[in-house]
Amino acid sequence: MIACVAVVGHQNNPLYIQSFTEADDALKLHHIVHCSLDVVDERVNNPKKSGPTLNETFLGLLYPTENYKVYGYLTNTKVKFILVTTDLDVRDADVRNFFRRFHAAYIDAVSNPFHVPGKKITSRTFAERVSTIVKSFGLSSAG
Amino acid sequence: MGREVSESCVDSLLTEIVSTYNNRFYANKPELAARRIEAIGYQVGHQLSERYTMERPRFSDHLEAIKFICKDFWSELFKKQIDNLKTNHRGTFVLQDNRFRWLSRISTDPSVENTESQDPSAAAESKASLATMHVYFPCGIIRGALSNLGIPCAVSADISNLPACKELLLSYSVLSFYDI
Repeated sequence: MIACVAVVGHQNNPLYIQSFTEADDALKLHHIVHCSLDVVDERVNNPKKSGPTLNETFLGLLYPTENYKVYGYLTNTKVKFILVTTDLDVRDADVRNFFRRFHAAYIDAVSNPFHVPGKKITSRTFAERVSTIVKSFGLSSAG
Repeated sequence: MGREVSESCVDSLLTEIVSTYNNRFYANKPELAARRIEAIGYQVGHQLSERYTMERPRFSDHLEAIKFICKDFWSELFKKQIDNLKTNHRGTFVLQDNRFRWLSRISTDPSVENTESQDPSAAAESKASLATMHVYFPCGIIRGALSNLGIPCAVSADISNLPACKELLLSYSVLSFYDI
């Protein structure tokens, strides 16, 4: 199950962050997302370490914690997508697929002429689309 | 991705933007009108660059981003690649397009031409100034796309030989630490 997704701008400013857990642990998840930004920076600035994923938008598993796994994705425009999941055996293809659909949703949201670049994404359509993608992520990994 | 826009719609829209800003909003301030049109282009380029770079690996340096603009971005927008790319290796790039599509069908109002200017050189001059107003929008698009890709820059266009020639002068103020 996906616990949290986040979109972070190129100056590490939060653009969209949404948790999908029942429990009241939003702050903890925000903290996890915040920590992952350092890992993203490290991956990008030390391309040798990231090995096969050189210059790929998908950054792979950033770091595992006791209960969560954190995945990252960096677009050409230096916007970061962070995914926090509670599943411990996640297929790479699922995560890639998730990020591709998430990226498409993000592009549609920022292409809205009323969206101000660099500001938080407030679009309700985007929120709905994201929750649909998050729900279908659970299904595809089960099947 | 599948949605497309008719080319003639884009042409008419561009013409209308230019004439509205020049003749109605900022009739006596052509510089301000140019800035506003450029700003619209900037926003469009900012959004388009996000969309068109989606399936691509990340760019490792500025030259790769410029190449993307010359090849893929240019052909998405103008249906052809640029004809020539020159650089002075100090952060200035010159992109040359010998048949810039958005200017290929430009012409001045014949009634204005007949009444105001009889000699052909003045007519050519008015045509050039009209064309100059029309390139602020594409210049803004290129600037918006590049700055979204992390290259803050200034873009200016040089139209010497209509409609055959369009040179885009691209220079950015960041002195890069690697040799481009």
